[in-house]
Amino acid sequence: MDHTAHTKRSLVSSIPARAGIGLKAQHYQEILDTQPDIGWLEVHSENYMCAGGPTQTWLSAMRERFPISLHGVGLSLGSAGPLDSSHLKRLVDLERRVEPGQVSEHLSWSIADGVYLNDLIALPYTEEALEVFSTHVLQMQDALKRRVLIENPSSYLRYEHSVIAEPEFLLGVVNKSDCAILLDVNNVFVSAMNHGFDATAYLDQIPADLIGEIHLGGHSQVKIEGRVLRIDDHGSKVCDEVWALYERVIDRCGPKPTLIEWDSNVPELSVLLDEAAKADHILARAAVREEVHHAVAV
Amino acid sequence: MPSLFKLQNALRDVSLGGDASALAADIIGDGFAPEQRLNVHRNNTTILLSEALGATYSVVKKLVGDEFFEAVARLFVRAQPPRSPCLFEYGEGFGDFLATLPAASDLPYLSDVARLEWMWNAAFHAADATPLTSADLAPVAPEAYGDLILSPHPSLRLISSAFPIKEIWDVNQCSADPEATVNLDEGPQALALLRPKASVEMIELSPAGFVLANQLSEGAPLEDAFFAAQSTAPDFDPASTLAVLISVGAFQSYTLRP
Repeated sequence: MDHTAHTKRSLVSSIPARAGIGLKAQHYQEILDTQPDIGWLEVHSENYMCAGGPTQTWLSAMRERFPISLHGVGLSLGSAGPLDSSHLKRLVDLERRVEPGQVSEHLSWSIADGVYLNDLIALPYTEEALEVFSTHVLQMQDALKRRVLIENPSSYLRYEHSVIAEPEFLLGVVNKSDCAILLDVNNVFVSAMNHGFDATAYLDQIPADLIGEIHLGGHSQVKIEGRVLRIDDHGSKVCDEVWALYERVIDRCGPKPTLIEWDSNVPELSVLLDEAAKADHILARAAVREEVHHAVAV
Repeated sequence: MPSLFKLQNALRDVSLGGDASALAADIIGDGFAPEQRLNVHRNNTTILLSEALGATYSVVKKLVGDEFFEAVARLFVRAQPPRSPCLFEYGEGFGDFLATLPAASDLPYLSDVARLEWMWNAAFHAADATPLTSADLAPVAPEAYGDLILSPHPSLRLISSAFPIKEIWDVNQCSADPEATVNLDEGPQALALLRPKASVEMIELSPAGFVLANQLSEGAPLEDAFFAAQSTAPDFDPASTLAVLISVGAFQSYTLRP
């Protein structure tokens, strides 16, 4: 089987190495009216898989003005058993219609025996799960005829029988399926805090040329009997620790398309744009640094 | 070591409210009880799916209040979790589910309001199509009218209730006058919902008009549909109701009975 043909498409040119924001319905009209200076938009694929109606009309209007990244939350690549072929078909149809700059999914599972839990649940990092997950990524890429990005998850639990560290598992998937990576810096931080590993060591392990997109979002903290568990609810600003980790990634990797995610307690558009401006500032500085570097090298 | 399939089924059961103790042995506690870690996932599933239901059933939520809605939504999520990752498709059975709940029996109209909200949701997301106009029917010879079969617009939905559900729906919209009230004695109501363009419209039908619309939407030829409607109300004028249905865009094409 030839899985290399679709990888010829460039990773970097598909969405600009600028800040983008997650598109929310409450901001549709304001974005069209004010045409803010944002690099691109990301949408949750499943929200636009309807047969017709205004949501699709909005998306088409956005697509005329901005590059779009399609971010899936429902294919459940980590589920045992076959992928839902009708859902994959709907994704292919949406991808053909939108012509997105990127298509991404999660390193997690959401469906067990046909029931969709509307949750992104960590996998046990075993050889079995690596095989299942990579096979599903290959199927997804074959159906879409393009390379996809796989996002590292936030996790709240680990399994006794896991034998592979998460970054190695993720790179194992890349190795077996030739996908690329959507690096969620907030997710690395949340998981690192929840499980006590070093976030910088994790991030440093991800090769720059595999990163097609970065996610930044806010998380919350719950106290359980005096101990804190961090919950990735995308309901607040990006915290300082995550900004610092992000700068470190950009310092090492150069500018990458960066999304500000905000999915619960969604604020005014201006709040998202301010967060995006913050990321854009870091990206612009890194771009200048690259230019200087090239100029001096010549 | 559990297989991936077994592990995922066990975790699904926990997320849908089942006992977590059997799965606890497979989860690393690391400062927490494994059940506390599993509880994050149970909360994610329960709360996020309840919120999705609340978005589709905003009028029901307003009628019963947040606390009651949350309790009922939790029961529904656990009894009928989604089979599709597209949440705009989730919750079709909620109206029927409400009808079976003794706790909701004080509000006898509640399940019909839920069915109306579901139809609104379905009409909103239905396929787009250009509605049939009366001009499109010009080529049909008058003597063949009885054989006309009109195919419904993809967004067309029909509902009848013993209660004035449209008024209940209207006064519970964000834009409604907060002082407005509904007289429940206004009696039964039949409605056609459709979205010929961007917005969903509700058209009130007489009982016989509802029979007519129902017959036509199920593919009955015009003659049979007229007959069925008139047999429920001898003074019913099916032609004027048909004209209204066509003018609002209830159909998308026609064929003739062979």
